[in-house]
Amino acid sequence: MSGIQLYNYDLDENCYRVRLALSMLGIACKTVAMNAFPGNEHKAPAFLAINPLGTLPVLKDEELTLFGAEAILCHLARAHGGDTGLLPAHGDAYAQVMQWLFFSAGELSVTVEARGNALLDQPGDAVALRAGARRVLRVMDDHMTARGHAGADWFVGEHATLADIALFPAFALSRDYGVDHDEYPALRRWGRRFRTLPGFLTMPGIPDYH
Amino acid sequence: MTFIQGWHPVALSVSIEPGSSAGTHIGGQELVVWRDNSGVAHVWEDRCPHRGMKLSFGFVRGDHIACLYHGWQYDIAGQCRYVPAHPNLEVPATIKVPVFRTVEAAGMIWTSADADAGSPAAAGTADETVPVRSLYVDCDADELIAALKADLPAPFKGKSTATIAQLGDDLFRVATGDDTLLLGLQRLEDERAALHIVIAGPAASYAGAGQAHFLAWATALRGRLEQPAMTWPAHQAEAV
Repeated sequence: MSGIQLYNYDLDENCYRVRLALSMLGIACKTVAMNAFPGNEHKAPAFLAINPLGTLPVLKDEELTLFGAEAILCHLARAHGGDTGLLPAHGDAYAQVMQWLFFSAGELSVTVEARGNALLDQPGDAVALRAGARRVLRVMDDHMTARGHAGADWFVGEHATLADIALFPAFALSRDYGVDHDEYPALRRWGRRFRTLPGFLTMPGIPDYH
Repeated sequence: MTFIQGWHPVALSVSIEPGSSAGTHIGGQELVVWRDNSGVAHVWEDRCPHRGMKLSFGFVRGDHIACLYHGWQYDIAGQCRYVPAHPNLEVPATIKVPVFRTVEAAGMIWTSADADAGSPAAAGTADETVPVRSLYVDCDADELIAALKADLPAPFKGKSTATIAQLGDDLFRVATGDDTLLLGLQRLEDERAALHIVIAGPAASYAGAGQAHFLAWATALRGRLEQPAMTWPAHQAEAV
């Protein structure tokens, strides 16, 4: 039994990013179910003692406690990823994976806000959030269109990396906040490829059948 | 221009892989574009007759598309053939999805609601095509065409100045240098349009660098359309 624990809420897409990585890396993990909605358990003092930001997910690995999906992905790939290549060690590929991970944690968070607003009663301007989400999804589609012309299948390099894992949920769940997949043909093709990766799993909002 | 008349492009052929589906619109009408496992493309009304769920959310198995809600399966004529909750049911012929004529030409999928429409203008325009992209823009289709005419691409090969010709209601040909582009215009809905862009020519000449050349032009065209040119305030311009 590994000493890995994930504080998880099934409907949280940042938790899903980590569940995807754990599954694709074949890492056994104990899950601590959080009542994030409607219970707001992640805002309660007991959880704030673990993560003062009051955000999910949190990963504990022996003595290490981490918040932030992207940092957790990096830790899992480096500490437990073996030779999967999910996190390139150096060179352009390392820098490009980092670029997309920071994009995931930064600009792409508008998609998390749009979904939180649409599904989980979180405050926000639905129209502005949806417009913002379309802008960042388009950045991804433009990138994958160009990658396709270069004969490449993935966001970075020759095989799937943490970049693909971090970016997939925002696209796959976009219908939750009213943005269809029609305008993103390159992401549709990439998403279909992503679903064939060993260890892929779905979450509510991402159909098992496709 | 209504969906009833003529032929309209709905996607680049490469964008709809065998065994996959996608939603789209013409004139505000919701359509599903899907390709069966044998490679034939279909365009239908995007609505399962059972509960109104979009069939574009569904899944393709063989030559059937199934609704994501309850798995009702439809054959390529739109006829419901199987209801999983009632496996022994002889499905009534009235449970049928409206289907539209669908052909592939010039590297695009074209559809028509008009049973008497002849061949699409795109038929026979190119033996081989290389896809550039589908360019989705938040503006009126006529505005998109006006911007296209004002901003034709530089050639990938050759030197001569670009010209544009309209070959059909929704089909344009751009000649630039030694290169030819075919552009299918899709009027999605009010203030939303798409251009499906291919290079007429062999992959050996255009795959990679040629595609990248015209991709950069197309994406810049979208940027200019959606973001009016930045103008410097007068006092700053003088200070430079």
